[in-house]
Amino acid sequence: MKKTIVPLMLATLLAGTVPAQAKEPTWITDKPLTLKIHLHARDKYVWDENLPMSKELFRLTNLQLVGTASKTATNSQEQFNLMMATGKLPDIVGGDSLKDNFIRYGMEGAFQPLNKLIDQHAPNLKAFFDSHPQVKRAITAPDGNIYFIPYVPDGKVSRGWWIRKDWLDKLGLKEPQTINELYTVLKAFREKDPNGNGKKNEVPFFDKEPERLYNLVNFYGCRATGSDASMDFYVDDNGKIRHPFAEPCFKDAIRNLAKWYAEGLIDAEIYTRKNRAREQLFSANQGGMTFDWFASTAGFNDSISKTVPGFKLVSIAPPADINGRRWLENSRADMRPDGWAMTITNKNPVETIKLFDFFFSRAGRNLQNFGVEGLTYDMKDGKPQFKESVLKNAKPVNNQLWEIGALLPIGYWMDYEYERQWTNPAALEGIDMYTKGNWFVPMFYGVNMKKEERAIYDQYWPDLQTYMSEMAQNWVLGTKSVDKTWDEYQARLKASGFQAVLSAMQTAYDRQYGKR
Amino acid sequence: MADIQTSVREPLGTRLRQGWQAALKDLRRDWLLYAMLAPTLIWFLVFLYMPLDGLQLAFKQYSAWKGIDGSPWVGFAHFVTLFQSEQFLRAVGNTLIISAYSIVLAFPVPILLALMINEVQSQRYRKAVQTIVYLPHFISVVIVAGIVVAFLSPTTGVVNNALEFLGLDRIYFLTRPEWFRSIFIGSNIWKEAGFDSIVFLAAIMSINPALYESAQVDGASRWQMMTRITLPCIVPTIAVLLVIRLGRVLEVGFEYIILLYQPSTFETADVISTYIYRQGLQGARYDLATAAGVFNAVVALVLVLVANRLSRRITRTGVF
Repeated sequence: MKKTIVPLMLATLLAGTVPAQAKEPTWITDKPLTLKIHLHARDKYVWDENLPMSKELFRLTNLQLVGTASKTATNSQEQFNLMMATGKLPDIVGGDSLKDNFIRYGMEGAFQPLNKLIDQHAPNLKAFFDSHPQVKRAITAPDGNIYFIPYVPDGKVSRGWWIRKDWLDKLGLKEPQTINELYTVLKAFREKDPNGNGKKNEVPFFDKEPERLYNLVNFYGCRATGSDASMDFYVDDNGKIRHPFAEPCFKDAIRNLAKWYAEGLIDAEIYTRKNRAREQLFSANQGGMTFDWFASTAGFNDSISKTVPGFKLVSIAPPADINGRRWLENSRADMRPDGWAMTITNKNPVETIKLFDFFFSRAGRNLQNFGVEGLTYDMKDGKPQFKESVLKNAKPVNNQLWEIGALLPIGYWMDYEYERQWTNPAALEGIDMYTKGNWFVPMFYGVNMKKEERAIYDQYWPDLQTYMSEMAQNWVLGTKSVDKTWDEYQARLKASGFQAVLSAMQTAYDRQYGKR
Repeated sequence: MADIQTSVREPLGTRLRQGWQAALKDLRRDWLLYAMLAPTLIWFLVFLYMPLDGLQLAFKQYSAWKGIDGSPWVGFAHFVTLFQSEQFLRAVGNTLIISAYSIVLAFPVPILLALMINEVQSQRYRKAVQTIVYLPHFISVVIVAGIVVAFLSPTTGVVNNALEFLGLDRIYFLTRPEWFRSIFIGSNIWKEAGFDSIVFLAAIMSINPALYESAQVDGASRWQMMTRITLPCIVPTIAVLLVIRLGRVLEVGFEYIILLYQPSTFETADVISTYIYRQGLQGARYDLATAAGVFNAVVALVLVLVANRLSRRITRTGVF
């Protein structure tokens, strides 16, 4: 008797929290429906049904999502594993960096395949995948199914080259247009004391992520990475998977970087300075050039010019490489490994796929990108516009949106306009230049491997990657000679399963993206 | 005598019942003591014995969805992977070398420190010294790593400024494999020696003062008292701590290494725990990481057993 009463009471309690509301055209279901969601993202954000964004979602769709992830936990990956291990799955699971997990556990039967549901019930998703086939291929599992809906960023640009314009002016130099001019400029930064303190303490090139220094090999016509992550594989023009650090071209390029490093053109402390490199070197009036994100780097013009008179940082077009070509490996991905999936125990797949679809519709994108209408944004001429109070707030706009529960890494389509409205003018200038220049080379979105392929990759790749980064760093620092160790390096790669990793990935790539 | 004879001949059931009753009686009498023991026992059960079940992961292809019990067995496959990896073997070697150096170089320091502190006559001075040497222990390793990076910076670091002043070349210490062990062990000594000396100081305090008094009457010098009385009296403490230390020979402070190492210093800096961290946790390969952990535990157990036997033979004291 008691056993039946408790759930009944709970049900009435739950029903009591669901108020009857006015019907919206975006309603997914006529009867209010509650679904459970586990969403723990970036080690700190969880889905909270009491936040304005969740309430607005309920008002718009008549679907209430109730969060089940712990609000006090600080490791999203761990929370995901725990939730999976308990075997008690909620209706929806979401978060960042879960692509491989969604695919792996999807094939093991924890998540529902979505292909049919998308075809039948999700017009927006279907249209999106039709116009973005590369995204569809990137998320398709080896068994041909789609198990999750990804977070799709918008906009083209991620990082760019930044240089001290006031130093250039002082030394009577122009913005470098080629690799040779770039070398001259960095050399002058080092030798001619642009900060005027009488000491040779200028740091011509530096970066807050040490691995970004390898991007300089682009100027010697070589690849440094295949995606916005560092040291990633890339796909050549013939559809073959390669690793930049194993290419013959890399030998000459890294020898040149070692020369730059020895001449003091690259930050001597690049491997240990890390996160606060820009703050340190710009405020000490020592840093000359860096490769970094637009919005945050442009911001130094405002914060540093108070302490360093005349400080002017501008973005420049990528100088042409030794073959006279301007190009850039880093752009904004069309897809992130974040998103959400519906579990095998979800009893309302149709409503759930409609919810996933909602975030690819205009109304859903506005909600996720701009927050709640009337609270954070207003409609102007049919377009969402952030309120003045939001734009003028001392807190960055994205932080304000996180606080109301928007922008969480669920499966949604970003609207670049959201970012544009609060990007400062100096950054916008650079972004527009890079977008117009369109110097980007295609990105590699990774492959979804079968169990056997994954086993080979897992067995060899971590060691290989460690070895590659070890050698590259030794070459740049000059502790090992490129010429003396290159053959040994290639032999060791060969002996440690490098070819096996490449061919496992190639098989997966051909299956997923089609053989060329 | 006759009583015992009869009780031995009692049937098993009776004897069990008697034993049980004796235990109950014991429990009733000393229940307070047992109650105080309980939290520790529970802690051991929950945090050390129950997780033992998870060790089977080392022999399984782990899937969080299938769970520990549902994941398929793979035998020794993970161990084969580990021992085929040159980097794992290198990590094992590095761990042993760093540990051996730490034991040889860092283990005696707190003992020396305790002896020296013990000889200080002025109470005030002694308190001040103790506070100063204990302090670094309470600084987080993250801060210590930051201090080390700043001190050793090739452009602005104190150490390099001193080198240049002496007419020597500047060195980018943290990227040089040959410097890593010295930096790691040296800064560890600075951080922990003071705090570790507390145990030895306590052992010195518990030495019977009568020994010193009679030695003084016999005209012994302070040096003689230290080498003939103080040191021999704390040898058992030293032995026990050394055995415990040997048991942790494969546990090298992993957060601290992560904060200080670089790909270019992996050659000397990469230890088992950092290897597990990179392969197991960053790559979410819990099964492989567990296998490495099991290997770690087995080696540690063997070392403790050997060290304990040696200690019993040489000093007649041991942990067990």
